Amino acid sequence: MQESAYFTKYTPTPNTWDEMFGADAQIRDHYQKVIQYLGAESIEELNKKEDLAKRLFMSQGITFTVYSGDEGIEKIFPFDIIPRIITGDEWAFVEKGIKQRLEVLNLFLKDVYSNQFIIKDGIVPADIIYSCPHFLREMYNVKVPYDIYVHVAGIDLIRDYDGTFYVLEDNLRTPSGVSYMLENREITKRLFPDLLPQCGVRSVTEYPNILYKNLLSLSPRQIPNPTIVLLSPGIYNSAYFEHTTLARLMGVELVEGRDLVVDNHKVFMKTTTGLQQVDVIYRRVDDEFLDPLVFNPSSVLGVAGIMGAYRKGNVAIVNAIGNGVADDKAIYSYVPEMIKYYLNEEPILKNVPTYQLGNPEEAEYVFGNLNKMVVKRTNGSGGYGMLMGHAATQQEMDEYKAEIIKNPRDFIAQPTISLSAAPCYMQGKLTPRRIDLRPYALVGPDGIEIVPGGLTRVALREGSLVVNSSQGGGSKDTWVLI
Amino acid sequence: MLSRVASSLYWMSRYIERSDGLLRMLKINYASSQDTIQTFTWEPVIRIFAGLRNADEIAALGNDSRSVLKYMVLDRENPNSILNIITLARENARGVQELISKDLWQSLNEYYHTVRGQNIAFLLEKDDPITAMDILIKQGMLYYGTLEITMERGEGRGFINIGKFLERGIQSVDILDTKFGSIDDNPNLLTDTSYWKHLLLSLGGYEIYLKTYRQGFEAENVLEQVVLNNDFPRSVLYSVNHIQRYFDKLKHESNMPEFRDLSFLIGRLQSSIKYSSVKTIRQDGLHDYLTNIRSELFKIGDALNKHYFAYS
Amino acid sequence: MPEFKIQHVTKYTYDSPVRDSANQVILYPIQDDYQEVIKHDIKITGEPFVDVHIDYYGNEVGSFTHTESHTKLEISSKMLVITKHRMYPIDDMFADQQWSDLRLLNHQVPFIDFLRQEYFEGLDELKAIIESQKIANETPYQLAMRFCKYVYENFDYIKGVTTVETTLDEIWKIKAGVCQDFAHILMEMLRMVNIPARYVSGYICTSKATMRGEGATHAWAEAYIPNYGWLGLDPTNNIIANENHVRLAVGRNFSDCSPVKGVYKGAAGHTLEVAVSVGNPDDDHMEEYEHDIHHHDAPIPKPANVPKNSYRQYMEMMQQQQQQQQ
Repeated sequence: MQESAYFTKYTPTPNTWDEMFGADAQIRDHYQKVIQYLGAESIEELNKKEDLAKRLFMSQGITFTVYSGDEGIEKIFPFDIIPRIITGDEWAFVEKGIKQRLEVLNLFLKDVYSNQFIIKDGIVPADIIYSCPHFLREMYNVKVPYDIYVHVAGIDLIRDYDGTFYVLEDNLRTPSGVSYMLENREITKRLFPDLLPQCGVRSVTEYPNILYKNLLSLSPRQIPNPTIVLLSPGIYNSAYFEHTTLARLMGVELVEGRDLVVDNHKVFMKTTTGLQQVDVIYRRVDDEFLDPLVFNPSSVLGVAGIMGAYRKGNVAIVNAIGNGVADDKAIYSYVPEMIKYYLNEEPILKNVPTYQLGNPEEAEYVFGNLNKMVVKRTNGSGGYGMLMGHAATQQEMDEYKAEIIKNPRDFIAQPTISLSAAPCYMQGKLTPRRIDLRPYALVGPDGIEIVPGGLTRVALREGSLVVNSSQGGGSKDTWVLI
Repeated sequence: MLSRVASSLYWMSRYIERSDGLLRMLKINYASSQDTIQTFTWEPVIRIFAGLRNADEIAALGNDSRSVLKYMVLDRENPNSILNIITLARENARGVQELISKDLWQSLNEYYHTVRGQNIAFLLEKDDPITAMDILIKQGMLYYGTLEITMERGEGRGFINIGKFLERGIQSVDILDTKFGSIDDNPNLLTDTSYWKHLLLSLGGYEIYLKTYRQGFEAENVLEQVVLNNDFPRSVLYSVNHIQRYFDKLKHESNMPEFRDLSFLIGRLQSSIKYSSVKTIRQDGLHDYLTNIRSELFKIGDALNKHYFAYS
Repeated sequence: MPEFKIQHVTKYTYDSPVRDSANQVILYPIQDDYQEVIKHDIKITGEPFVDVHIDYYGNEVGSFTHTESHTKLEISSKMLVITKHRMYPIDDMFADQQWSDLRLLNHQVPFIDFLRQEYFEGLDELKAIIESQKIANETPYQLAMRFCKYVYENFDYIKGVTTVETTLDEIWKIKAGVCQDFAHILMEMLRMVNIPARYVSGYICTSKATMRGEGATHAWAEAYIPNYGWLGLDPTNNIIANENHVRLAVGRNFSDCSPVKGVYKGAAGHTLEVAVSVGNPDDDHMEEYEHDIHHHDAPIPKPANVPKNSYRQYMEMMQQQQQQQQ
């Protein structure tokens, strides 16, 4: 096999699972075809492809907005042209694991908002649920269609040094990024013509159709054409591009809170020809802002009275309200127990060991080993407000510790997991960078479906373990092979 | 169609139309300032387009052409500067991005980036301001062409056109009112050829005038063309006829009472213009006549807000 | 057995028409062994359909909307309620035993909610006060009574110095407020010593107008006493809330029990009038008390950097959501 110069220099990161290289320094089978293809290309050609990718993203307006002052700057989410490849077997395992987890998380939500058997049986402590700000007492005894709370999930997975998959976070509220899964694939089709079928890469294009099918099935009115809308916070939201993409791909109306009104416990949208009843809302507005009558009264992103319409079953809301109690980082550590409790099964996907700083004994252990820990806020996201113990200075650690002591319940700690690495094309050569994986699962009355693929986020900074876009992360197309 | 979407399309369109009128006005006035030996006065232009601004702010500009141009094109504090108008047009378009054609969005996006680019600022401050206006006017033309070719024929385009012609009608009325108002203070202008020539040029009606009236510049002929000539695309009558034309297409069985209400307002204005002449206008008094048309146009705008956009 | 005829009128008058209003009322008297509801009617402007559901705390909650443009909203609630005297706690168990019984509730639903301390700046000061006044072998019941008296004696009852949005910090600072503030402070104290405490909204009904909190909705606290259950304590009047207190709702705090609240769209401010009158059912005469009247101005929109024409401003004003809360 002929190998170009950029390729021979690839040095895997020590003590790290490399997606491309096996332990014996051999290229794994599932990367062979791509490497052959790339090997035949010159650096100039690859640079050209990289440029093309950038241009395609920019001209199609696939951007997210970062605000500074009163001006928005539109940025592209950095894209690495080398795909991340997952074998059919690996995928089958991940898929099975996610399905098991989601089944249980749905059962858990149903349970905490009704009988609370899991609390009564002492599996999950009542304190940890009742102290979670996302446990919404307003959802107590509210019946949701088909008992499905989580319709769309983006579960974050990482791989430790031996390749074992771990669940890092369950995102069960308004997970974003699926538009990048779809757009990245479209870009790859243009960058590497004919390579996808040659390698046997499974398609991800069904995603919007499955989501639409599921939304349709939730309509409370049994009518031929129920009105389905996507509720967005509006153009100033950083994920607005994703909202328009999904609305366009599903052919549903994109609405903002001010377009909707509740009359007699039914939701309507205001059109030029009068009010039109809305049956299903795929919302990308957080719980807190959804109904100013019941939740945050100053919210203008939501619709006053929508909770009443939801409670009466006159409108379906996706995801359900109150899901935050199931993806809270403190409750996360109980998921393996939940799986045993509800299904009498062993968890397929592992949890990262998690210490509750609200528990004095665990806190003591964490403080003694802070340099080996990642400490996170239980309600934080986006990689903000984390302490990466291995990289922090003593002063940073002391300051963070002071924050923890104020509100220990708001923090958890996990041992640093190294994250697997995959080759990225950077300045003319292949270089390993850390990655994670967020597959998107859709739950409907017919079951759980996961399109084979997902968003692979990559920490573009050398040595970095943080893949979030807000912290200098990028993404890759994610291939699942047959 | 969502009320918000209709409203966004309507406002996107009004802003673009406003920017076009303003740029043409600035271009001609700047050119005219180069022909004037005495101090050129920018006051009427500022009055038409900058709205009720703080008097000190306007006084501070003096009659320095470059300061005025910078204020009217790039000033962030001036709510009607081209920069702000185009930003608003683009914001409106952004909120309805999946409903307008991709080409149209891209043309607006380009217009926006052009106004903000360094080239325009440089031309306005240091180089030839007319080139700057021409570049921007052309961006507007690209928008109009793209709209015509790519935009789906339907309700959305109806609101776009209603916005465009409502804005145009109001502008023509304002320009006439200001220009004829200046004559009251300075009767010499009545016979000042270049005064009328510039008015027509800034409305893009100079050539039509020359073809229609062979006997030189007369205030009454100018008035007739700008108000009553249905072949002149910037005349008040032409604008109102087009509002009527696009509004008719919005008829829908579910909102007949509202439709009739607005239809009546538009029809009444249309006939009052159609059946007036230079002579009757003079009898009524030009200023009162124009004031009345303006208030009727505003009423149409309010009724649209109420019946189609705000739904209250 | 006392029988009360209560009329509670809440009236919002808007400065100009508003629309798209969504409202929630918690005005349904509790039915239990000590309170019987003979009759209850709610009348609302426009006669909207009121959907009633039971919330997490077991209260009946009504919700309704009024989308048409309107300038006033009146909610009139009339009821006939019979109350029964409840025996006071016997309190014959050893104090230690009672305190350890209470400790068992710490991690139990629903007591977790009623033991959660709300953080405020005076917390340390309050803790010190409680420590310094500690009496050996005092039972939870005795301590609760003493706290009730403490709040009564150390806070001034002044109408209008606080609103529903006033924080504990401010109340602690001015040492004054109305019934709900008294109740909140008492709850803080009880929770601090591990006695579950909950907020109660309702009416105080006496034959003579001698009690604080009449003529409006009243509020007090309930403390959980071992072997007894929830004991009503009215710190505003320093009495045990019994057959003269008619209960509407219980919860963690005021916002769980807010009798009337709503959100509407429109630029208008509003005037709120609340009147509660209590009468003898055999007689048509109703005791009328002074009305509580509050005016809320519409917030003035802040000038934004992005210029706006008048239509945009109008739209923004229309979008402006207003909250109304009693």
